[in-house]
Amino acid sequence: MNPLDQAARIGREIDGKVVKPRRQLAMVFDLNKCIGCHTCSIACKTQWTREEGMEEMYWAVVNTAPGKGTPKDYETMGGGFEANGLARPSRIPGREEYGDAWQFNQKEVLFDGGGKEAYLQPTNFKGEKPKWGPNWDEDEGGGEYPNSHFFYLPRLCNHCTHPACLEACPRGAIYKREQDGIVLIDDQKCKGYRFCMEACPYKRIYYNHVKLVSQKCIFCFPRIDQGVAPACARQCPGRMRFVGYLDDENGPIHKLVHKWKVALPLHEEFGTDPNVFYVPPLSPPSVTETGKPDPSKPRIPTEYLERLFGPRVRESLAIIDEEKAKKARGEESELMDILIVYRWPEDIFPDFTKDPATL
Amino acid sequence: MAIELTRRTFLTGAGGAVVLSLGYLGWRAAQPGDASIGAATPGGHGSPIPRVAYESYEDIWRAKWRWDSVAKSTHFVNCWYQRGCNWNVYVKDGIVWREEQSGTYEPISPKIPDYNPRGCQKGACYSERMYDGARMRYPLKRAGERGAGKWQRVSWDEALTDIADKLIDAMISAEGPGSVIWDQGTAQTNGGAGFAMLRTSLVLDTPVLDVNTEIGDHRPGFCVTTGKMVHCSSSDDLFHSDLILIWGGNPFYTQIPQAHFITEARYNGARVITIAPDYSASAVHADQWVPVKVATDAALGLSMAHVMIEEGIYNKRYVQEQTDLPLLTRVDNGRLLRGSDVEQGGADDRFHVFDRATGRRVEISQRTLDLGDLDPALEGEFEIDTWNGKLKVRPVFAQLREHLQQYAPEKAVAICGVDPEVIRQLARDLAKARAATCIAQSNFSKYYHGIEMERAQILCFALAGQMGRKGAGYMAFPYLSVDGTDALANLKGQGNPKLQLAALGLKMAPRFIADKLRGHTKEMTIYDLARDEFRHGAFPPSLLWLYHQGGYKELYGSSEKWDPAMKRPLSSFMDEAIEKGWHFKPATRPRIFMEAGGNVLRRFRGYDVMIEKLLPTLDLMVTIDWRMSNTALYSDYVLPAAAWYEKDDITWATPLSPFSQVVTRAAKPIAEAKPDWEIHCLLLKTIQRRAAERGIGTFKDRHGEERRFDVYDQFTFDGRYHEDNVEELLDLILDVSTNVGDVDWKKLKEKGFQRFTALGDNGFMNIGNATDVSEHDTITAGLWHTEKKMPWPTLTRRLQFCIDHPFYEELGERLPVHKDQPNIGGNYPLYMTGGHTRWSIHASWRDDKYMLRLNRGQPVIYMSVEDALARGIEDGDRVRVFNDINSSEMQVKVAAAHRPGQATCYHAWEPFMYPNRKSYSTLTPNPINPVQLAGGYYHLQPMPAVFSPGSTDRATRVEIEKIG
Repeated sequence: MNPLDQAARIGREIDGKVVKPRRQLAMVFDLNKCIGCHTCSIACKTQWTREEGMEEMYWAVVNTAPGKGTPKDYETMGGGFEANGLARPSRIPGREEYGDAWQFNQKEVLFDGGGKEAYLQPTNFKGEKPKWGPNWDEDEGGGEYPNSHFFYLPRLCNHCTHPACLEACPRGAIYKREQDGIVLIDDQKCKGYRFCMEACPYKRIYYNHVKLVSQKCIFCFPRIDQGVAPACARQCPGRMRFVGYLDDENGPIHKLVHKWKVALPLHEEFGTDPNVFYVPPLSPPSVTETGKPDPSKPRIPTEYLERLFGPRVRESLAIIDEEKAKKARGEESELMDILIVYRWPEDIFPDFTKDPATL
Repeated sequence: MAIELTRRTFLTGAGGAVVLSLGYLGWRAAQPGDASIGAATPGGHGSPIPRVAYESYEDIWRAKWRWDSVAKSTHFVNCWYQRGCNWNVYVKDGIVWREEQSGTYEPISPKIPDYNPRGCQKGACYSERMYDGARMRYPLKRAGERGAGKWQRVSWDEALTDIADKLIDAMISAEGPGSVIWDQGTAQTNGGAGFAMLRTSLVLDTPVLDVNTEIGDHRPGFCVTTGKMVHCSSSDDLFHSDLILIWGGNPFYTQIPQAHFITEARYNGARVITIAPDYSASAVHADQWVPVKVATDAALGLSMAHVMIEEGIYNKRYVQEQTDLPLLTRVDNGRLLRGSDVEQGGADDRFHVFDRATGRRVEISQRTLDLGDLDPALEGEFEIDTWNGKLKVRPVFAQLREHLQQYAPEKAVAICGVDPEVIRQLARDLAKARAATCIAQSNFSKYYHGIEMERAQILCFALAGQMGRKGAGYMAFPYLSVDGTDALANLKGQGNPKLQLAALGLKMAPRFIADKLRGHTKEMTIYDLARDEFRHGAFPPSLLWLYHQGGYKELYGSSEKWDPAMKRPLSSFMDEAIEKGWHFKPATRPRIFMEAGGNVLRRFRGYDVMIEKLLPTLDLMVTIDWRMSNTALYSDYVLPAAAWYEKDDITWATPLSPFSQVVTRAAKPIAEAKPDWEIHCLLLKTIQRRAAERGIGTFKDRHGEERRFDVYDQFTFDGRYHEDNVEELLDLILDVSTNVGDVDWKKLKEKGFQRFTALGDNGFMNIGNATDVSEHDTITAGLWHTEKKMPWPTLTRRLQFCIDHPFYEELGERLPVHKDQPNIGGNYPLYMTGGHTRWSIHASWRDDKYMLRLNRGQPVIYMSVEDALARGIEDGDRVRVFNDINSSEMQVKVAAAHRPGQATCYHAWEPFMYPNRKSYSTLTPNPINPVQLAGGYYHLQPMPAVFSPGSTDRATRVEIEKIG
């Protein structure tokens, strides 16, 4: 490895240790408040990815879980690191697997005299009818009726402590900011080799087909730098995206991740040490054919949740249940009060409360 | 006046330039690598031009986040339950660049979560939608077959002149102005300046369709029980609840901006129970999900009511005080014992209870719900003396108790599929809750027997005493608006509107005083006035209009074909209702159809009938819209309206989000689009001009009176409010409003919203909420009834469960019942249900690419794994959905979350998104339920928006087969 200046060392494993940034920004997504509305996806889209070549990008996206995700079946593609630190083999997902940005024959049908036989239809980049999209299996879920189950899983770049993308980039185009740990791809240095896309186990990196570079969530750093929360978080009507520094002991992130230990990383086994954490989903209990609940049988199979969030998910759900019961009994609960978010934005992203319109 | 002009000029002219130049200076002063903010001007019009040096890659991204100006706005569309979100609209180079929620709603109390940041994904991309391929840019004239999309671009003058001439022709024809029909669509009407369409129809005396019942939003079961439709608390009132039933709605799709109050109330200890056939998005965050068979919710509710009564866990005092259940009924015929039964010449609207304290029959007050020392019996049978001899009587409660035996949980399970144990538990949970809210929406409104589903639900809430307390209530029709618009919309004259309003107030005063003396509440008088006005026929209910004049008699009148309980055809009920004067028959053949921002050729159930039967008979069809809707596509002219960020207006609102909100002209209207206020002004100006040019001075209105063609002068209040000064009109609206404090347009425009301070004294909708509004508390509907003991506006002045109307009796619905869903559409195995979608507000975003790319890009129908498997259908297959009425092709989504036997098409796919232009809506015969034709019974009389027959498309029977 070439000698690297301090900034370029951040996020790399050097001498068996991952070099960490001075501070790390993180998000906690409370899945019990996510309603699957995709305001985050759209907020991000209008903020950053409307340019040509970026049409199909959803740096922020919401998946229905269980489901195939975005890109399709990303969880089975590999990437990240093995327990022994070696890269896990993977591949670059194809454009159709991400779900293409379809074009529509709006003009033909509405204005150009397409005739009464014409009707609005989507076409993918190959000129074919789409067979997959970024939210194709929305609200389908798993289980067997009436014990069907699903929940919403918003995803974006995890701004990992040990980003596989960063390690994989032969150009050194990917770096992790010293002041906040945000992972960025310098697309002036990027040559579009897409090793990052292969390495990222969450497959949250897209390829710009016009600029021929890889692009991904930038944690809205231009907003962060101004004290404004990221668009996906500030625009989330469900009030489920907490943003803050992991080391801020008074902030909600630290409290949820470290104090109450209810927020867990997604697929920790991918080995990249992600900085997006999830409060796992409660669900109504299983029922008989006639709707008789059986509280001993969780609707969402615990094994499934463990596959996503690791073994600590049981404990996390138990804590939430217990604290919720306290509130129901009229007792105080710091955890519930944090998750409720009485005051927006102070309670949900205390360091990023500025209204961009007032800048 | 001069000062006003100066203010506007500054804002629209100089303001932008100042910002730009400051921004420029800020950039020039940049230091390399310094990303801190440069220029900012007070008042939110600053541009955060970062000091960009382009030395690093990061600066490229920083430079993308910049704008020239910011304006407050929202979406002038009927999002209804979820409407009312305050947005900042960021403008760059004269074009709206993006929008972001303002997030500036003030908290009302430290213990209640605030309303920030209200919005949804649809609102978040209107900046893209308003410039996309569906946007209307120029006036267009049809140049080919209707629906073929062939257009000729014409000038405004050309379009308006031709339209004005045809309107004049129709107005002076034998059919008169009654032959010109307006549809008040949700995209361009209501709100503030949106009342232009109503005022146009007022000065032209052309009817406007009363669309509410046809849409199916009229909450008929709530109406027959309470005497009103509007009744809803604020969303944050949920935080006071300890039990939330999501029953008859899907708020996680349709109340996105305020869904957090549900999840947060849950964290606050509330138990959330979702009752729905499918495991819906609103079941995901519930503590319990109760799978119920499609269209059987009445049986479930009545069974719960049975349990509450049999277990004696109902709220006795609430039942005695607020409901008709203690009222005596005759044992011989089951009807309410009236004053006329007791005394010769007694009143038909006086009712009685049996007071257990004194052991005597007592006439109960119609003026207050306060029982004083009375202890009305709920059970027992009594013999009373009347002028006509002895009569056996018993309370409604006793009758109901007997009636409900058929819904004992062990019997109800066979109907609704819900376990007896679960029914009992639901009843007990509801009865013992500290405060329970039912999040019901207008879903049951759209079922053939939806009236009974709602009655059963309200019976449960009434028995449990869960209405009219903090955190307790039944969510009916939410409405709470700036009331100045309502007042102004009714002013017929052309003089100074404020003087006219004052005169109107003086004119009305004696009526209110007289009514008060005879014990009527203000609410009742307001409804009486609305009923009187409605009889004049200016607002024909659209289903009745379609039935009588639109070619729908055969389809909508096919009820007896499906409904086994009918012993005579629908036409017989219809004739009787018209003969008795309960409903009026729209009698004029339509010649011109004017669509103002609605979308009848998407909205009318079986819209294809209108295309086949009505359109060929019309002289003219005009659509005013900002986008090419399906209705626009079939019109003769399409007039391009300004988009929602291109005009100044105030939107209508609801107590769920109790703020008056603005839209403002963040950017100039694109191409030749114009704000609808301006379009109406110009249309009337053209009519006045053309009438003069053609030497036509007058027309006969629908009542035979001569009226002058100086319609523009009338419309503009003699030139006071015209196409160029809409902001003065908005100031006037706020000036005459009584429920938003002393805010004026300038203040409102800058802030973007203003919380309501009261229900207000004008208008007939707001008052149904029957509550005071306080600055530091949530809004709880119905407190006037529970705390002030104000009577309900029903015949009995109480929540009325016994409706002894002859139609109700003939159809076996005097008391709430469950009736099986008829096989509407034919004998097919699947129920096609529906509901509003996550992805659009009506059709406004249905063909929007940003939204389509996040689902399947085309219309879909959800079906269960089991049903799909049985038919060899796989997810993503193209299928044909069909029944006796029609067939429609779409893609299938196979969902584990879906109930076998149920297939769901979510709302408002445009017909032009389907092969042969046949959407799912062509499959429903939408039969009129005769019970909804009942009238002539104090509160069962039509008035705007309620008590006329509604649509019944939910749970139409279909079969689905794979194509190819």
